[in-house]
Amino acid sequence: MSAPMEIVVTADSAAQLWNCAVFDLHSGTNLLSYRGGNTSSRTLTVVNGEYILGAQLGKNFINVWEIQRKDQLQQKVVCPGVVTCLTASPNGLYLAAGIAEAVYFWEISTGNLLAILSRHYQDLTCLRFTDDSSHFISAGKDNLALVWSLASVVQLDPSHTPEPRHVLSRHSLPITDLHCGLMGPQARIATASLDQTVKLWELSSGELLLSVLFDVGIMSVTLDPCEYFLFCGGSDGNIFQVSLCSQSLSRDKAFQSDSDGNQVFKGHRNLVTCLSVSMDGTLLLSGSHDETARLWDIQSKQSIRSIAHKGPVTNAVIMAAPANMFLPESRPAAPLPRFNRHLLSSEHSEGAESGVMCLRLGLHAQNQEETYLEKADKLYSLMSAVTDKAVFGEGESSKVRVAELEEEVQTLKKVNKDLYHFSTQLLTKTT
Amino acid sequence: MKAKKKKRQDDFQKVKLKVGKKKPKADNVTNTNFRSKGIHLSEQLKKDSSGPTTHRQLGINDLLSQLHHYSGNVKQGALSGLRELLSVNPSLLEQHLSRLLSEVAAVFTDKDGNVRMSATRLLRFIAQCVPADRAAPFFPLLSAHLSCAMTHIETGIQEDAMKVLDVLLEHYPALLAARPAILLTNFLELISHRRTSGGTKKAQETKGRSWSLSVNPNRAVTGQQWRLTVLLRLGRFLQAVVEERPVEEGDVLVPTEGVFGSSGEGGFTPLDLNWEELTYSKAGVKVYEHSGAKPTPHSTYRLRPEVDPGAGVCEGLGSAEAVQAFATTLVPLLLEVWVEASANDCPWNSTEGTHLLTPDAMSIMFQVLSILQLLRKLAPQKEHQDTLDSWFRNEYLGDFNQHFMKNFPYGTLDTPKQKKKLDSKRIKQTAVVPGQTVEPLALNITLCQVMVSLSQRQEAGQETDADWLIPLRSFVRDTLANGVKLSYKQLHMLLDTVWRMVLTQRSKAVTEDLLAAVYVYYQQRNLPLLTRSLLLSFYSKLYLQEQGHTHIARSKMLCRWLAALPVQLSHLGHRNPALSARLILSIQAAASRGNKDLLSSLQTHACRLYDPQEGVVVLLPAESQQQLVQLLYFLPKISQSLLAKLSRCCTAGRISAGLAASLIRIVHFRSSLSGWSVGSQEAALQDVDYISFLFSTLIGFSSDELATLQEASEESALPPSPLSPLSLYPTPLEQFTHHWDVVEEVCHCLETLGSQSQCFDIVQNGICKYVTRLEVVPDSMAAGLLRAVSRLLDLSVLPSEPVLRFLSQCCLSLLALLLTLEQEAPSETNHKREAIWSACVSALSTVPRLLRMVLQSLRVGDLCEEELPQLGQMLSTLLQHTPLRNHLLANATLLQHIIQDLTRYSRGETREQWLTDLLYCYSVTVAHGSSTHRGNLGLRDMY
Repeated sequence: MSAPMEIVVTADSAAQLWNCAVFDLHSGTNLLSYRGGNTSSRTLTVVNGEYILGAQLGKNFINVWEIQRKDQLQQKVVCPGVVTCLTASPNGLYLAAGIAEAVYFWEISTGNLLAILSRHYQDLTCLRFTDDSSHFISAGKDNLALVWSLASVVQLDPSHTPEPRHVLSRHSLPITDLHCGLMGPQARIATASLDQTVKLWELSSGELLLSVLFDVGIMSVTLDPCEYFLFCGGSDGNIFQVSLCSQSLSRDKAFQSDSDGNQVFKGHRNLVTCLSVSMDGTLLLSGSHDETARLWDIQSKQSIRSIAHKGPVTNAVIMAAPANMFLPESRPAAPLPRFNRHLLSSEHSEGAESGVMCLRLGLHAQNQEETYLEKADKLYSLMSAVTDKAVFGEGESSKVRVAELEEEVQTLKKVNKDLYHFSTQLLTKTT
Repeated sequence: MKAKKKKRQDDFQKVKLKVGKKKPKADNVTNTNFRSKGIHLSEQLKKDSSGPTTHRQLGINDLLSQLHHYSGNVKQGALSGLRELLSVNPSLLEQHLSRLLSEVAAVFTDKDGNVRMSATRLLRFIAQCVPADRAAPFFPLLSAHLSCAMTHIETGIQEDAMKVLDVLLEHYPALLAARPAILLTNFLELISHRRTSGGTKKAQETKGRSWSLSVNPNRAVTGQQWRLTVLLRLGRFLQAVVEERPVEEGDVLVPTEGVFGSSGEGGFTPLDLNWEELTYSKAGVKVYEHSGAKPTPHSTYRLRPEVDPGAGVCEGLGSAEAVQAFATTLVPLLLEVWVEASANDCPWNSTEGTHLLTPDAMSIMFQVLSILQLLRKLAPQKEHQDTLDSWFRNEYLGDFNQHFMKNFPYGTLDTPKQKKKLDSKRIKQTAVVPGQTVEPLALNITLCQVMVSLSQRQEAGQETDADWLIPLRSFVRDTLANGVKLSYKQLHMLLDTVWRMVLTQRSKAVTEDLLAAVYVYYQQRNLPLLTRSLLLSFYSKLYLQEQGHTHIARSKMLCRWLAALPVQLSHLGHRNPALSARLILSIQAAASRGNKDLLSSLQTHACRLYDPQEGVVVLLPAESQQQLVQLLYFLPKISQSLLAKLSRCCTAGRISAGLAASLIRIVHFRSSLSGWSVGSQEAALQDVDYISFLFSTLIGFSSDELATLQEASEESALPPSPLSPLSLYPTPLEQFTHHWDVVEEVCHCLETLGSQSQCFDIVQNGICKYVTRLEVVPDSMAAGLLRAVSRLLDLSVLPSEPVLRFLSQCCLSLLALLLTLEQEAPSETNHKREAIWSACVSALSTVPRLLRMVLQSLRVGDLCEEELPQLGQMLSTLLQHTPLRNHLLANATLLQHIIQDLTRYSRGETREQWLTDLLYCYSVTVAHGSSTHRGNLGLRDMY
């Protein structure tokens, strides 16, 4: 796997053949499938390119596979309740799960439960991290979407209850899906809701930028990587495309009334529950309750391929293939720890081994280590000294040495020749 | 003769002159007592040289130059002349504005009082005409002269400067507020003087205060009066500064005070789009400014410090430190003023416990308090406000406590004896301070607000605030609960006080106490709309704050208020849509949070709210209707009776088809059949109820309506005939299209239910049970049923005989109706015709047995003469429809039979046009069919 390869990962709720399956984006061949259990909506996530996690439908545990061992369930993480949404941070450090109306927040390296954020009033529907893992957004059935700053959530001060950075409260019915764009804290968030609107927000200020009212409730939403288009999956099976940057310089627009970017992808017959766009923004993946996942060409709005499933599609996502996925011998760099079910602070009070976390504050107070740059400098000077010596150093002695070596080569050649003659004589004699 | 002689003598009579007598004048003497005058043609000469003049023929240049005259009268005359001139010729104002302003400003400091007065008057006139942006370039000059006048050594000039300031405050508050630094010091100098460093001993006493109140015995008014005037202006000025500050967006979480009256949405207006508009309009969406590279200025992130720190500091009140510095000088002065005012009339302590004050003292105290209040608001940013509050608390809490709270509930002193004495004086005073009568209530409320703003969030074990908050609390409670008439502003301030107390005190008892008082006020009848909505938003804001405040969340009063909302909504009806919208907003907020009290109350009153006849859902405007429909989602249980009402709502046409569709969709999402569920939410309704809801919505008419239709068939419905076996009731066009849209949505819901065959079975049973026995059928219902059957049927299911028969009757009658509609052919019925036609054709092509049944039921022999052409037309249109052709061919024998009958019955002598058409169509179809005959052999097996 030399070039970065994009794959389609899907899961359905029936899971007769497999829990979740991996397809090639362009050929549509089934590459891998992971077995055991089934995965509920918006809970399939890849941790650090090494594990696949998916919450069991209607049960209170999370299935974990090592990404290269497709057949075998690696472990089950038991949670305090039914997990309705699950996501891991892109940098692979944290795991956030929506359980009832609270967000549970784990540190993956230790398995510590860092925080339980219960600011929602009803069940959570969706959780997303920004691409730089600095913030995450939670949305729920209480019409609210909350923007959390990771720095405020991850702290050991037990007296301080984390507050969301923004409360996005302009929807009037439950939020069904959420997409967070690129660019870290400058990202835009798209939220879809049963109130038939899709809203676009700015993460940094929490302002509403755009609200589009549709004829049907919207079940899923996504943006293409350039954020030129907004794709909204409706509850009637249509996918609506809203152009966000339509150029207004249009002299000949009257002729092409259809192609001004606001179009419909028709093909699904039931709720479109998941949407995802490929890295180059040309392909759109949609999963629906009509038990198919479809791949669309965005430019021409045609369905390229339909992947049949045995039940309503719960997760369908296009992502870059993790490095380990197709190497059966590889192993994860770090084993997944046991995830704690109690808050970290309560463990602290027990007094046992509280020094797990080591913060190195005051970098300059310690003895300064050499920086990498300095080390590199040193190494470079060392190496250049060696070559200098070899090339330019002590002309006299080197000449002598060359002469010695040549002599030795001569003798070796002579010995070799003698050996050859001797052996040929020996061989010819016998015959 | 004699007479002639006499005459001659008369002519030459000698005049005798005598000594001592005046010499008579000669007849030819020249009269020199006239005066000569020059002729002035002043107007004629001046007109072409310069512009218009006053009635004294003075041009603007003359008048302006007269302002430099030494005589006061001349100057005054010039000023009034200018006013006259400018009011007649406003165009002059634009040309000479710079000169005018500079000259007028120069006489602010004139020695003559009358001149100053008319200068002020002229300035007022100019200010009325010139907008602020055009006056802006001259404003530095104006304010320089103003501060010159304010700091003038003559008291009269100082006093008149106040009037100039009034004018400027009234017309150019923004310009004044832009440079507050100099003016503030001027204000201070007006009522006090800077201590020189000489009085070291005194300075130590007053803890380094460098300013003290000054008394000037030369003034025309008392020191107190004078201070009042100055403080009044200072208050107005600070008000202007506060108001002109760029409004920051109200973050939802930060408990900003005073926002529950406003809408709270600041700064940024989001784009609101509709999918329909978006598809058809050519206008592009541009969401990102500067192509999204920079975040909007509303971003709360401050990664780097602002580039120009200098600008903010030197502006005067731009930073918290500057405000603090100003406050350190001002607050001691204000305290002194307060003490002076209260000391003057200390002795009267009334029996009711209120401390009585004279009106003068009252108004001066009120000014002091409102200035303190404004000082708090001066903090440039929200985070600064908190630091400023705590600073105030640290510095002055003790002082405030001592002075303000000593005699807290203040009352007005109103003794008639006093009044008489002061009568003459009072006239003078009212001239100085116009319209300043301060009610004690306002004073007390302001005091509450100032003091409460100092109270801090209580930590554990810190009970220091409680003692002085008690009288405040009891005052607030009594004022609210006793039904005192309050103005909007006063109520706003009171609610603000309550808000802060509830948030800072964090005790359940206090919260209950205060909220109960507010609730008493809320329950009063006939409150004006503004007040009512203020109270509503107070409550809803408080409710939204509950997170993290358990004492609020558990407050019984709040729960009671929430539970009462649905009742109020249903009582309000359509009388006040704005208030209803507010109520619905609050209900929605609570419902989305799953508040149990509200939900149970909503559930009990749901039937009344969603009544199809007089429920609010049909009475309110469209936006509120939509929100009400969305509320349905949150109902924990949707009962049968409610579903029946909802179904009627959908079909009755009082809500739009789109809204009806979203209602059906919401009910769909709450059923267990929707398939979309996150977490553990129970289905709100049983599947049986849901399906019967869908079916009755599909039918579109209640059983009562259908029954009355059966009765009153003769006059309204089309009579049955052999060609249309059912008697169709023609629905109005709007109702038809509405019903058609609803049917589409219902069909979509039914399609997604799961097993299609079972679903069809259910619909079939429903039709069999309720509809087949009808004789009069509305056309919309017939078309809807055909549409639903054709959408739901899959090939594995065989429809039952009675249903098919009924449907075939429907189909035939509709086709007949179509023909009559075509004859009328008004363009409005186009949509209806298309809908009926598509329903018939799709039903006929998806259910082949239906087609056969239709053909079988065509008995040509029973038809009368006039109906034959109709039948022929009907058949030929069906034959022309290509998708049907194969199915018709499958029934070729039947068709042939009918056509033979037709030709036989139509008395072959004149072969009419319709018959020719029909035969042609038939032959084409048959010819087409013979070529593809083999392919159709399989088709026959279907029957």
